[in-house]
Amino acid sequence: MNRQSWPGTSESDPAEVFLRRALDDAALRGPDDVTLRRGWAAVAEPVKAPRARSWSWFAGGVATTAALALVCGLWLWPRAAATLALVSPAAPTAPAQVALGTRRLTLEGGVEAQLGSSSVMRIEDGAPRVEKGEVRFSVPHRPPGHPFVVRAVVRNNDYSVVVVGTRFGVAVNDQVVGVDVDEGIVEVHQTATQQRLARLTPGEAWHSADVSVETSGAPAPEPPAPALPISPSLSAPPEHGQVHVRIHDSRHAARPAARTLALATPGEGSATAGRASIATTSGLSTASDESSNAARAALSAGDAPRALQIYRALALKTGPAAENAAYEVGKVLNERLGQPASAVAAWRRYRVDYPDGILRVEADVSIIETLARTGGSDDALGEANDFLRRHPDSERRAEIARLAGDLYRARGDCRHAVGAYQIVLGASRPRDVVEIASFRRAACLVRLGDAGGGEAARAYLRSYPTGRFRTEAAALVGDGARSVDGRTRPQ
Amino acid sequence: MQEGPVNTPALLRAVPIDGSPIPDMEIVTRCRRGDGHAWRTLYDRFAPVVYRFLSAFGVPLEDREDACQEVFVAVYRSLSHFRGEARLSTWIYRIAARHASRTARRRRVRSLLSTLLVREPPPPPAPDPSERSERLQILDDLISKLSPKKRLVLVLFEIEGVPIEEVAKIAGCPENTAWSRLHYARAELTAMARRRVR
Repeated sequence: MNRQSWPGTSESDPAEVFLRRALDDAALRGPDDVTLRRGWAAVAEPVKAPRARSWSWFAGGVATTAALALVCGLWLWPRAAATLALVSPAAPTAPAQVALGTRRLTLEGGVEAQLGSSSVMRIEDGAPRVEKGEVRFSVPHRPPGHPFVVRAVVRNNDYSVVVVGTRFGVAVNDQVVGVDVDEGIVEVHQTATQQRLARLTPGEAWHSADVSVETSGAPAPEPPAPALPISPSLSAPPEHGQVHVRIHDSRHAARPAARTLALATPGEGSATAGRASIATTSGLSTASDESSNAARAALSAGDAPRALQIYRALALKTGPAAENAAYEVGKVLNERLGQPASAVAAWRRYRVDYPDGILRVEADVSIIETLARTGGSDDALGEANDFLRRHPDSERRAEIARLAGDLYRARGDCRHAVGAYQIVLGASRPRDVVEIASFRRAACLVRLGDAGGGEAARAYLRSYPTGRFRTEAAALVGDGARSVDGRTRPQ
Repeated sequence: MQEGPVNTPALLRAVPIDGSPIPDMEIVTRCRRGDGHAWRTLYDRFAPVVYRFLSAFGVPLEDREDACQEVFVAVYRSLSHFRGEARLSTWIYRIAARHASRTARRRRVRSLLSTLLVREPPPPPAPDPSERSERLQILDDLISKLSPKKRLVLVLFEIEGVPIEEVAKIAGCPENTAWSRLHYARAELTAMARRRVR
């Protein structure tokens, strides 16, 4: 029983053609990305929290939780009272300018934020937004796919500071946003266009007057930036200034799903030392789902620019929807708006933000295919080789290896082309790809004058007796023999 | 014994250029220690395979996602029993095959209960966007007409690309029996395809 003989390679038997193609389709069938992510969300839990196997453990857990809740309640009670006092009409809506006083807070994910005097920071959808003054952040290393994003808005210009683990500061005054870095690498993006404005390494600083940014809301150029008082590091112990915490429920605001927590220092109000933990906003995933649906609806309606806008906004958030949106930005740019260079840039940005993301393979393949299609063969080859090194298990490996082989062949580098086609032959599918690689490898070997060229052509004919290159392969058998004879014949 | 060509499954045919994938046993050991990253690696490596296997084995679209998750929960719970004597893929395929059969049984019971209670049958699910053509639907339909034993061997060998000795281990039969089942499954499928695609 020979595997290649079933289904046969005949093009005249519709049943064989059907089975061949259907089995290839079935071999390439897989879950969509959303299904994979949903599946991961369902099965990730066993590792994080093994299920208790007996009632005694369960009862113990309940008792411990209750005790902890009691202790936490008693500990937080005075602070809750203080918070309530701050939302009274007596509390100022805008903090007064106070020269001294800083406040250190612990945000979600262990992020340390140190608010300078007169600083105003707002937490929206779990992400901090610096509105005024200086805030310095110390961000522990983040898991892949969960960059920490700080937004800063000044005069209709909205900037995003994206990090995965570092120490840096963000300062905002009436006209300028400034960012400086103590450790790690920080990127500053224009939020609306996702244009990267700066990539900062330790010791570097950036402020918004460094670039000319055009936005629809602010056509006038920005005035020269005044010097911002950016402190050199976070290492100095914070002074115990006063903190002003006010909580808004913005159900009547433009974004009903978001709950806003604003922090300001120091102004008036009570001060408490220690940590302030900020809970995540409710309804975030719902809002992300709605955005994803809106983007898909816009695409269905043919409004690609609108879809792009939604995906870009969504990509600034965190979580699976944001990751998906970061990839979709490139797809819309490439397939709907005909901007392959921007699409490649968007996918590369995805790879930076999600180096181990679930769409990493798709992003890599999209980049390679787009570069190859648009004539960037050098870049495409570099990417293809990286892909083959990086994804030894990928099912797209054969396709990419064949593409690399074709690119090498197009530039006359048959030796490398043979190596790439060899990788394809290690796979069994897609059958069409394997067949093409098998023939082209033989052709390259013959062109190189390699003794194995004729045999490779014969192997092709044995495997694909009715294959699409059978005539050319038969010719190669003769060419290979002549080539070898010519090479080995004594002079 | 019939000789066949080497038929390496996609997930085992890694030909690394300058790096090797993490060995199966190392992933399992790390998972047992509660290493979340290793568990994610295992999921990333095998989830598409399990999903594809369940699809080809005839698990209907509406049950596929749940079945896939159940397979991974079962894999996680059984990791302590994996001794490394078989390939990890073989072991996971075996669990997936068991769950696919169980899903089919559950579905038959549900169908029977619906008939007995004269309930309205559930509406057909929306087509799977990953199924690119009606070819797949026809193929699924044809494969579902094979007996479960022949179906398992055919799906593993022809779609999953599992070598016949591994197929035999998964199916729990001698290699010759696996070849025999494959032979008859191919013949039946070709005959059905000829009748269908005329």
